[in-house]
Amino acid sequence: MDLKDIKAVIEIMRKNSISEFEMENQGFKIRLKRGANVIGLPPSSDESAHAPVFAATPSAVPTALPPAASVLNADAEIKSPMIGTFYRAPSPESAPYVEVGTEVGPDTVVCIIEAMKVMNEIKAEVKGVISKVLVENAKPVEYGQPMFKVRPS
Amino acid sequence: MNMDAEILTALRSSGAGSLSGTELAQRLGVSRAAVWARIEDLRALGYEITASPHGGYRLLSTPDVLHADDLLSRLGKTRVIGRDIRVFRETTSTNDIIEKLARDGVREGVVVFAESQTKGRGRLGRRWVSPRGAGLWFSILLRPVLRPHEATQLTIMAATALARAIREQTDFTLEVKWPNDILVGGRKVAGILTEPTAELDRIRHVVLGIGLDVNQAAGDFPPDLRRIATSLRAEAGRPFDRAELAVTVLRALDRDYLRLKEGQFEGLAAEWEQLCTTLGRDVTILLGSRRIRGRAESLDSEGALLVRTEHGRLERITGGDVTLAK
Repeated sequence: MDLKDIKAVIEIMRKNSISEFEMENQGFKIRLKRGANVIGLPPSSDESAHAPVFAATPSAVPTALPPAASVLNADAEIKSPMIGTFYRAPSPESAPYVEVGTEVGPDTVVCIIEAMKVMNEIKAEVKGVISKVLVENAKPVEYGQPMFKVRPS
Repeated sequence: MNMDAEILTALRSSGAGSLSGTELAQRLGVSRAAVWARIEDLRALGYEITASPHGGYRLLSTPDVLHADDLLSRLGKTRVIGRDIRVFRETTSTNDIIEKLARDGVREGVVVFAESQTKGRGRLGRRWVSPRGAGLWFSILLRPVLRPHEATQLTIMAATALARAIREQTDFTLEVKWPNDILVGGRKVAGILTEPTAELDRIRHVVLGIGLDVNQAAGDFPPDLRRIATSLRAEAGRPFDRAELAVTVLRALDRDYLRLKEGQFEGLAAEWEQLCTTLGRDVTILLGSRRIRGRAESLDSEGALLVRTEHGRLERITGGDVTLAK
């Protein structure tokens, strides 16, 4: 496989909206991956291509992507308003405020962020059903870090 | 106790003297660098801690914030109330948080403070105005072995303990109005809200909520409350150390709760009767649409108010709105 062949493969990928191409033959291995702007995927790692958080806007999602991805795309995120420690319950002895499947409203407390030794109740701010818990209990969170996914209802 | 609490306890016990980093590290069983990191965090919270290469660390002042570890450190060991303390920046009502802990099976004695409450409440669905950092707004989870009709005993217990604690810190003449208000100069300075959850024949748990107006200026109260509410600062003309007050109150509550548990309600009730301004006074009680007029005579063994009506009958009052005749 020479440069001309590679160019040809790239051309085929472009025309057919193929995002990745991988080939292995007698010790020769090539992997081609196309950038974000064409199909909307960020030009970063494999990891992010699979993470629905960063998935493309629905209009740009090629039909090849599993349908689940477009459903997840519609999920809202509850983000941390501050740097601190994430707690799912008001005390280690008590049950989490919410689990996957819990219905929440704008004023439902979903977790606690402890910052400067004070516990801050964090509200959902949206209406829906918790679809994913993204942070482990008692772990640090950054400002703006997504903590929950909420499927709007 | 966690490390912050241990450091503060150690620094306080050394008083005007100071403690070297090495000494602190040895006491806590950690490295000097770890001590230094904790000291830096405490400084960020507003604790004024000096460090000198020869003298070591010294605690000069404490900020006016409620800090759970510091409260635990100052409180020292209690039997039940204050075994665990949590401080929230803001919540609807601290009673709501304790109610959740109660339903989740948390053991009794945990105390939740909030620096402000958005829906602080009193008896009969009334609001309790709880501005940020001005008072002590807190609730306690209790699991007493009592029958449902005995829940008023807890209100009486709390009022007695609260009044004693306030007296330790002030020279006020306090009055207790049955069942749950503490007054100074005829105006309310603290209130107690007892919210029991009971089965048919036993109490499952009680959320004991307390609101104590500490450092509001007289003008801080909403206009409709100025005639009936006051704060310790407004009465004494000086601000109070909220953390010190908090631990004094918790200690008093812990002591009196044990008295109650040991079946000594009568002793508590006697102390309460000394403080109570309702007894011996002409009162009007509103019970829904019913109005009872009479003279408050005494407290019965369950904490109910016994009122001799204008018709000479003795009425046993367990709820309603009591107004004292002037």
